[in-house]
Amino acid sequence: MAPLKFGIEFVPKEPYWKLAAYAIQAENMGFDNLWVTDHFGNRNVYVTLAAAAIFTNKITFGTGVTNPWMVNPVITAQAIATLNELAPGRVVLGMGAGDKTTLEAVGIEMGKPLAAVKEAIEMFRKLTAGEKVAFQGEVFKAAGAKFNFKPANKIPVYVGAQGPKMLEMAGKIGDGVLINASHPSDIEFAVKASNEGAKQAGKQPSDLDITAYTSFSVNEDPKKAIKAATPVVAFIVAGSPAPVLEKHKIDVAKADELRAALKVGDFPKALAAVTPEMLEAFSISGTPDMCIEKISTLQKIGISQFVVGSPIGTNVKNSIDLIGSKIIPHFK
Amino acid sequence: MDYPKLAELVPAEKLGPLSDQLLNFILTTKNDGKMPTKLANAMLYKMQHGAIKSASGVAVLLEAAVTLEPEKTMAALGEMQLAQLADALKGGM
Repeated sequence: MAPLKFGIEFVPKEPYWKLAAYAIQAENMGFDNLWVTDHFGNRNVYVTLAAAAIFTNKITFGTGVTNPWMVNPVITAQAIATLNELAPGRVVLGMGAGDKTTLEAVGIEMGKPLAAVKEAIEMFRKLTAGEKVAFQGEVFKAAGAKFNFKPANKIPVYVGAQGPKMLEMAGKIGDGVLINASHPSDIEFAVKASNEGAKQAGKQPSDLDITAYTSFSVNEDPKKAIKAATPVVAFIVAGSPAPVLEKHKIDVAKADELRAALKVGDFPKALAAVTPEMLEAFSISGTPDMCIEKISTLQKIGISQFVVGSPIGTNVKNSIDLIGSKIIPHFK
Repeated sequence: MDYPKLAELVPAEKLGPLSDQLLNFILTTKNDGKMPTKLANAMLYKMQHGAIKSASGVAVLLEAAVTLEPEKTMAALGEMQLAQLADALKGGM
């Protein structure tokens, strides 16, 4: 089995210097990849990544994930290509369909997500290869767009995917797939679907960096790890449709209760409604040994990269140290 | 205040633990907005070049920690028995 790569997700809710400090620490503790989320309410993803690029030396980093709608894919390609000049060969693009609620908040209608992601990636690949883009897609049109510069290397593209069609497409067109899930059954389903896509495109499964992008929380005290994971899991449950909850044997009435509490801003009630089943389904949380066991299960299923996503732990700095000293060495 | 001079008051064996403690205060502070950009970049530069636990790294961290979390910093210096440094800092505040 190939050594498992480790990635870490940062949400730029905090100033650039805090995230850059965590990025340096993550690099020193053996992480391979850094992913920064893209949400208009937070700091800009590309400026944050630029700071990480300047203050790190070897870690690979990218958007985790951006979407094709918020800005034209030409500008996304331009930003990523420019970042690649700051850190040659260390940059990747992470692109997914985006979040409906977020897009609606700025008046963007999310139509044809599969076509949008596919076309945006096609534009990205052509532009970053120094080619002219001229096509009439289902979502995007271009009439001869071309960069005045060309990245020195090919920039890998990761596709953020959850549903079966997006997963299959990710396997077909992506260099990697970012699976937004934590539970082995969800990961297993996603690995199969993305490998099927890769197979259809004539690729070997090893050509694809299959990445489990999890909600993660570690602490030597399991209760503290769970406490940190609870708010994140509450929001995941609130955003999950009934079939997803039923698949994980989660009480839908309890989820409705949680959703209603969040809607009126009653966070204590919402957090109290989070059950062990919810935590098990939507997070990897516990002591380092408990996390190692869960990550090992995902590696056996076929992932090649494991991303520790929010909340990471009660204290990010201490959690990075804990992961780097007790978890990553187990897989190297 | 001359922070590089103040950092010289920290015994070599306490530089590492003090660096860890100060960095923790800085990264968990709610007073983000008080961090001067120049100081933030100096801290990141020291971290990137493996010098954050050296006297020059601790000098940068001390300045940042005093700026962002003065009370916690003074308490930590007391707990680490760095009274001379704490007194020198108090004198300069």
